[in-house]
Amino acid sequence: MNAEKQNITQEEFELIERYLLNTMSETEFISFNETLKTDSLLKEKVENCRITLQAIEEQSLIEKFDTFHQEITLENNSKIISLSDNVKQVKWYKKYTVAASIILLLGLSGIWYLSSTQNPKQLYNKYFNVDPGLPTIMSDNTSHFKFYDAMVNYKQGEYIIAISKWEALLKNKPQNDTLNYFIGVAHLANKNEDAAIKFLDNVILNSNTTFKNEAYHYLGLAYLKTNNIELAKKNLTFSTIDNSKALLSELND
Amino acid sequence: MQKVDFKSNLTQKSAQLVAAIKANDEMVLKSLYITNYQKIEFLVLKNNGTKEHAKDIYQDAFLAVWRNIKDNKFEPKNESSINGYLYTIAKNKWMDFLRSKNYKKTILNNDIATLKSDNLHIHPSTQDHEFELKLNQAMKAFESLGEPCKSLLKSFYFDKKSMKTIANELQIDAASVKNKKYRCMQKLRLLAQNLNKT
Repeated sequence: MNAEKQNITQEEFELIERYLLNTMSETEFISFNETLKTDSLLKEKVENCRITLQAIEEQSLIEKFDTFHQEITLENNSKIISLSDNVKQVKWYKKYTVAASIILLLGLSGIWYLSSTQNPKQLYNKYFNVDPGLPTIMSDNTSHFKFYDAMVNYKQGEYIIAISKWEALLKNKPQNDTLNYFIGVAHLANKNEDAAIKFLDNVILNSNTTFKNEAYHYLGLAYLKTNNIELAKKNLTFSTIDNSKALLSELND
Repeated sequence: MQKVDFKSNLTQKSAQLVAAIKANDEMVLKSLYITNYQKIEFLVLKNNGTKEHAKDIYQDAFLAVWRNIKDNKFEPKNESSINGYLYTIAKNKWMDFLRSKNYKKTILNNDIATLKSDNLHIHPSTQDHEFELKLNQAMKAFESLGEPCKSLLKSFYFDKKSMKTIANELQIDAASVKNKKYRCMQKLRLLAQNLNKT
């Protein structure tokens, strides 16, 4: 590209940007498209800007990956891979390896069975039930509507959508215990324990919350899942829920 | 009682998810990333790969899925269709890697043949080679762009923050942000151009 092509005036750049970001009016768009058909230099400039904008987005996303990846504690993840996943993998191996896999799986199951009483993962699976959520109601109030709309997603297991909708509401009410509680339990159901702990901690900071026992119960489970047994026990102590007491007693055994 | 239109409800939800991905909603992207990684890592580890391989293949696949959703080449019906699509792309990428000349030297072909590649209606990369080359240069240029410019361009084009928000954050007026943004774009385009020459 020569110097002339590189040189885009601010006015020209903003025009191209409006075109690429779809913020032109219909008339402007039609007229710009017409010009593009005959002006090859402008067409090249548009393509150059298109590539530059795409590069900014893609490189920014790549740079986010490392932050995302840090949240995956590989050590924990290797433990949560379920037995059913193991079984699914068997079909990839040749027939003669199947027998060996089964023997290995039986062996592993035996080891798990023998050490079952103190295995945090097993205890977590035994005691973790997704909070059933609140009954959804019809409401004319916009923020209520948005809250219950997200609750419908939550109940259908669409935790990511539910979380993003509730987080939008949380911006205006960062201390709201109901929002913090459901964002927390949705994160836990979505296997993101660290995020769950962050939001559930916000719930217990509110001394008037009606979610106190539930928040401590799920905090206990979240810490159990991350193998932090001491904090799991500590949080469960503050919950009067029967399940919390039962889990605590198994942890103390 | 009002009849519930499940179909339109589903369409609406998938549209919300697509909109969040197109807007680079960090929460949504992060959750998708975290939710799907484990399965891919398991696949790679069980098929002659390392954790590093898994991470590279997964990030490559994630970028391809994001790009295809942005370009409307893949229109997910719901969250699980994204998960399935991401898994398939990662699996195919891992298959391609296993079949690559470099890798074949080290393992028996029989081991590879048992992993079947799934057909995708849309291939992750349909853009031509020249476009990819230019894109990579521009990405390298953006990676090495000086910090004040990098943050400003990222805030506007990736985080999709408004001019007003950025102006407030930088404590300058919107017109100055516009000027700065233009100058940063010029700088970035020039940097990419120079990388092209080297």
